[in-house]
Amino acid sequence: MEKRLNYLVAGAYIALVFVTIIVVTVYLPYLKFQPEASEVATNYEQEDPAVLRGRNVYRREGCFYCHTQFVRYQDRETGEMVAAGDYVHETPHVLGTERTGPDLSNIGGKYPDSWHWAHHVNPRAVKPGSIMPSFSYLSHDDMSDLIAYLQTLGAKRKQPHWINGPQEYRDKYHVISELVDVDSSAAANAGRGIYMQNCAVCHGVQGKGNGPVSATMAKKPANFTRPYYAAYSNDMWYWRVAEGVAGTRMPRWKKSLSDEDMLYLVAFLKTLPNDGSAAAGEVEVTEFSQLDDPNKLDDNYKYIENLGADHGAYQYGGGRPH
Amino acid sequence: MNRFLNAVFSDEPFSASRNFLISAIFWLVFGTTIGLTAGALMTWPDLIHEVPQLSFGRLRPVHTHGVLIGWLSMGYVGCMFFLGTVLSGSKRLWSERLGNVTMVVWNLLVGLGALSIMNGYTEAREYAELQGIFDWMVLAGLILTGINVYKTVLSGPEKKWYVTLWYILGALFWFPIVYVVGNRAFVQFDGLNDAIAGWFYGHNILGMWFTVGGVGILYYLIPRFTGNPLYSHTLSMIGFWTIGMFYAPTGTHHILQSPVPEWLKAIAVISSVFLLVPVFTVLTNFFMTMKGKWSLAADHVPLRFVMASGLGYLLTCIQGPFQATRGINWYIHFSNWVVGHAHMALLATFSFIVFAAVYYIIPKVTGRKVFSKQLAVWHFWLSFLGWIIMMLALTIAGLVQAAGWHFALPVDQWGMELEPYMFVRFLSGVMIVLGQILFMFNIYKTVFSKNYEPIPASPTGMAYV
Repeated sequence: MEKRLNYLVAGAYIALVFVTIIVVTVYLPYLKFQPEASEVATNYEQEDPAVLRGRNVYRREGCFYCHTQFVRYQDRETGEMVAAGDYVHETPHVLGTERTGPDLSNIGGKYPDSWHWAHHVNPRAVKPGSIMPSFSYLSHDDMSDLIAYLQTLGAKRKQPHWINGPQEYRDKYHVISELVDVDSSAAANAGRGIYMQNCAVCHGVQGKGNGPVSATMAKKPANFTRPYYAAYSNDMWYWRVAEGVAGTRMPRWKKSLSDEDMLYLVAFLKTLPNDGSAAAGEVEVTEFSQLDDPNKLDDNYKYIENLGADHGAYQYGGGRPH
Repeated sequence: MNRFLNAVFSDEPFSASRNFLISAIFWLVFGTTIGLTAGALMTWPDLIHEVPQLSFGRLRPVHTHGVLIGWLSMGYVGCMFFLGTVLSGSKRLWSERLGNVTMVVWNLLVGLGALSIMNGYTEAREYAELQGIFDWMVLAGLILTGINVYKTVLSGPEKKWYVTLWYILGALFWFPIVYVVGNRAFVQFDGLNDAIAGWFYGHNILGMWFTVGGVGILYYLIPRFTGNPLYSHTLSMIGFWTIGMFYAPTGTHHILQSPVPEWLKAIAVISSVFLLVPVFTVLTNFFMTMKGKWSLAADHVPLRFVMASGLGYLLTCIQGPFQATRGINWYIHFSNWVVGHAHMALLATFSFIVFAAVYYIIPKVTGRKVFSKQLAVWHFWLSFLGWIIMMLALTIAGLVQAAGWHFALPVDQWGMELEPYMFVRFLSGVMIVLGQILFMFNIYKTVFSKNYEPIPASPTGMAYV
């Protein structure tokens, strides 16, 4: 009899502990954690019904196994961080736990519908090296619903420059930004000189990543004319230049350039990205117009030789703009 | 047909255990093959074209469903039926027929559930993909199993329960509740609260079912294989009670950087770290019980599986609390590192336990010696080496991937760096699937072959250590 009582007490204890845990970790959050809907949250009842249908396609095809939908503090390439209020209407959740592909919280509005369409039919046609499955089996309706859904993701928090540097560099940039007005034409022209002396040999004189040395590199230099780089904020450019890219030949320029020089460089780099429709940047760039044909690699070589002749051997440390 | 029905709805002692284990092995080969196909798609994304049922996003849930609900859960129930009977001193299960009905329900739900997910009928929550009707079937299967095992144990002559029984009864109490809380067929929350409930389930299917059940089975197998008495019953009890305390609140560490309440994350991280307590009491107990008998593994294949699972458990449970801390999770999360961790827990630890249990239980319940020891050895090495290679490939791939995300580079600039690791992972998958096919063949020959080496079929009356 006493044994049986012991087992009963033990069983009651287990049940009590377990119920307590469920109440504390599942039910209590439900009671206490009911954030207000933020401005960014998509209320599917007020949207075009295609959006909710598209969300169901997203869930059905298991997109969330490879794409997450929450931007963390450290995810600086995917745009604004999310807040609790953004998820009020997201039921069931599609947060995801693994990123084989990028986070999609802010994908809306970044690419045209036609790009998404091509990307889903044959991912490798628009993103070489991608391992995303082809979704060519989706019906026409499913595909357009899915794209309608993707275009709502984070579209309301779209910003011109959503790729930010790490916090320490954001702070540092804030302090030194008074040295140079990076939006001015003069600074951009000054940066051009530093660029030509230090960067063009890999990144090419037009920033297309096709400088002469790039031929020897396994990891190709960045092509700054891609529209992607238009999303770089000033502090991101500054961080990238200062710290380089680990695992590649991109050096940490803070070892050889002063902060001021790097800011001139930022001012120039900002002018390079374009979407192919407009002239590069808003900054008026007058010199070196003879180099506009990007296909003449020989000319690039010649140009770099000339540069060396004009400025003395091109050395780290860069020159002041003339 | 009659013979088949008789075998399926048999009332013979231990038939339910046998049928559960055999079905489990079938779902093992099914689940790992699906996993291998999904792994192949990570290397050759255009391998399968225009077949929606076989696209990656659908194969992955079928893989997890097949190995979790199909293979491991059915294997566990088979072991629980056997161990519950033997350890309580009963002659047979409370109701073999009920056990066999459970087996049929379970097989139906695994098969039809896999088909439904493949065809796009999915709840779309990781590890809880099954839709309403199948959720009810899982719950029914668990409750029927629970009734059966509880009745058997309570009505058995043995009044002082060995620790394995504690674990089995605990698992059968905890898991149905976890299942109800975590599945939208029963409980529905909105927004982030849905994620919190989802990960309460997603982690506790591991914690309150696979860990508790697996450790319970190990507590039986190790003294049985080595002939040593259990090192410490006190330690085993400490392990049991602390698992009950610390495992259940850890779920939120899967969404540690999402905007859920900070206090909830704190609870999850702290209890994750505290998991080291049950882990080390359990492992100390195991390794001390092995004392002086390690050399037996040279000749004893099931013991080899047990030792490998002990190693897997040690690594998994050091890695687990480590990567659940904020500083590490900050870097590791969202990468293939975590996929490697999952395979370490579910393949190297819990599957290996069930492998050993199958090699031990099947001869006991059929009265036939295992068909071929050589095949079992091959099964061990293919699974073990396959796991080591897969874990290394996925872990390194995870570090590369995490570096990519943290350098704020777009994925199309570094995604191809993962290709070699994904290829190696595919090769390791081939090894593992091959091992499981040999395993299935071996057990098939053991159970169904006309020529067999008989051993006395009397699993009852064995005193446990």
